[in-house]
Amino acid sequence: MRRTLLSALDRGAPLIAALLLLLIWEAACRLLTVPSYLLPTPSAIVQSAFQVPLSSWLDHTWATLRVSLQGYALAVLIGIPLAVALANSRLLSRALYPQLVIIQSTPIVAVAPIIVVVLGAGDAPRVVITFLITFFPIVVSTVTGLLATPPAMMELSRSLGAGRLRAVRDIQLPFAVPYIFSALRISVTLAIIGAVVAEFVAAENGLGFFIAFSTSFFKVPQAFAALVVLVSLSLALFQLVALTQRLLFPWSLPKTEP
Amino acid sequence: MSTRLEPGGERPAIRFDRVGQVFTSSDGSRVTALDEVSFTLRRHEFVAVIGPSGCGKSTLLRIIAGLVKPTHGQAEIYGLPVAGPREEVGIVFQQPTLLPWLRVRDNVTFPMKHKHGRVSATEKARAEELLEMVGLRDFAHKRPDELSGGMQQRVGIARALLHDPDILLMDEPFSALDALTRDEMSFELLRIWAERPKTVLFITHSIPEALLLADRILVMSARPGRVREIIDVGLARPRSMKTLSEPRFHDLANQIRAQVFRPEALA
Ligand SMILES: Nc1ncnc2c1ncn2[C@@H]1O[C@H](COP(=O)(O)OP(=O)(O)O)[C@@H](O)[C@H]1O
Ligand SMILES: [Mg+2]
Repeated sequence: MRRTLLSALDRGAPLIAALLLLLIWEAACRLLTVPSYLLPTPSAIVQSAFQVPLSSWLDHTWATLRVSLQGYALAVLIGIPLAVALANSRLLSRALYPQLVIIQSTPIVAVAPIIVVVLGAGDAPRVVITFLITFFPIVVSTVTGLLATPPAMMELSRSLGAGRLRAVRDIQLPFAVPYIFSALRISVTLAIIGAVVAEFVAAENGLGFFIAFSTSFFKVPQAFAALVVLVSLSLALFQLVALTQRLLFPWSLPKTEP
Repeated sequence: MSTRLEPGGERPAIRFDRVGQVFTSSDGSRVTALDEVSFTLRRHEFVAVIGPSGCGKSTLLRIIAGLVKPTHGQAEIYGLPVAGPREEVGIVFQQPTLLPWLRVRDNVTFPMKHKHGRVSATEKARAEELLEMVGLRDFAHKRPDELSGGMQQRVGIARALLHDPDILLMDEPFSALDALTRDEMSFELLRIWAERPKTVLFITHSIPEALLLADRILVMSARPGRVREIIDVGLARPRSMKTLSEPRFHDLANQIRAQVFRPEALA
């Protein structure tokens, strides 16, 4: 009896904590009469969300999602083959690794305006910015995974005379799956960040644009509402990637998970 | 990859003629792993290689497997120089080296799948037979992480036997197992070898294991790896637990122990 109550409490704990936090937030804002352009109350945020037409929400959300997914897809499609090449060629990794580190060390936010100038209006510059932010973790993690293949396994492949491509496909890539997915999970949330950063620089729609636009008119509750949508989007994509791994590669999950 | 050779009547299965292997590491320093190593293995002979770690045992095995080309001398299989990996050679590694995402039966047929992209019905049937032979029939549908270390190593052995190689190379295959499992596996290997005679080169650093299994024992010295002595075991077959208590077993064990620990200066 007491145990079931405790376990229910245990499972509900995150939700209860979140609700409690919102209550404290609401109460503190009201009691201290914090002006809504500094910190709006949760109720004000919800209210303002409903003042914006649904079609407008969908429009901005779709714009951000579209750019994120395009940049992410590009990062996956270029990052994984590049990682395979880097992991299998000492020469190539010696030649390209320094450039990759330079790209990663460059603050993308600072480069974003330049990219916009070079690539002009439209999705292209935003997709490129998103790509630049998401691509590095995918490459690094995939290379690490590919190189974690037991050497004896590669020796077995060589002793069978199966060829390099087959070794990559049958042995190296599957061994790298857990590493690849941990990068894919992180990168999908980075993709949202990339799209938002790009929208801050130059855009006429998207949730990032909407936040910048709202704050410039001191519609802070509205900006907060957009932030909530962004976080939800990020979490949903993260869970989607995790679900894909569970469905397609169940053996690659850590043993402790059910 | 290569055509299968008909094992020639009088030709030795494996012959090393003054084989030397010098590795150059990335900092430019050179390591002589093998120096003037010569020996022959008759067809279907069981030879154990024993020696301190780092004396070049694995290198020797890799040369036979065609994974390393020796820097000096010549290695031959059935009278032909080893130019690369060959069909008639099967390898069992120290670690089971199974693919964790494949079921046991698919791990056994993996070499075929990997090499030819598909597994024939005959090979599938053969995999079941081999699993039966190594006592894992009921585990064919399991994944490797559901098996004990000894069972995993049996899967590795079944996999190496799939294409019925005439030569079996084993690199300390039981050294990761506990002592009891180890003895059990040794007898099992002898039973398999009696059922399907093969030329076996078995690397170990356990003297009793070498004596229990082998027809002859190649004793190697530490860096640079040289053949110090080749010992005829001459214990009666089939061998069993009783073999372990034979006086000759103890005499030979002491003799080998003295060889392995003999200081280099006196060699
Ligand atoms: N690929 C390699 N490159 C450089 N040195 C190597 C390589 N493989 C083995 N060696 C060196 O050769 C020696 C013999 O190694 P190995 O054959 O693995 O010995 P063992 O199997 O008897 O322990 C060791 O000193 C090892 O460091
Ligand atoms: Mg070794």
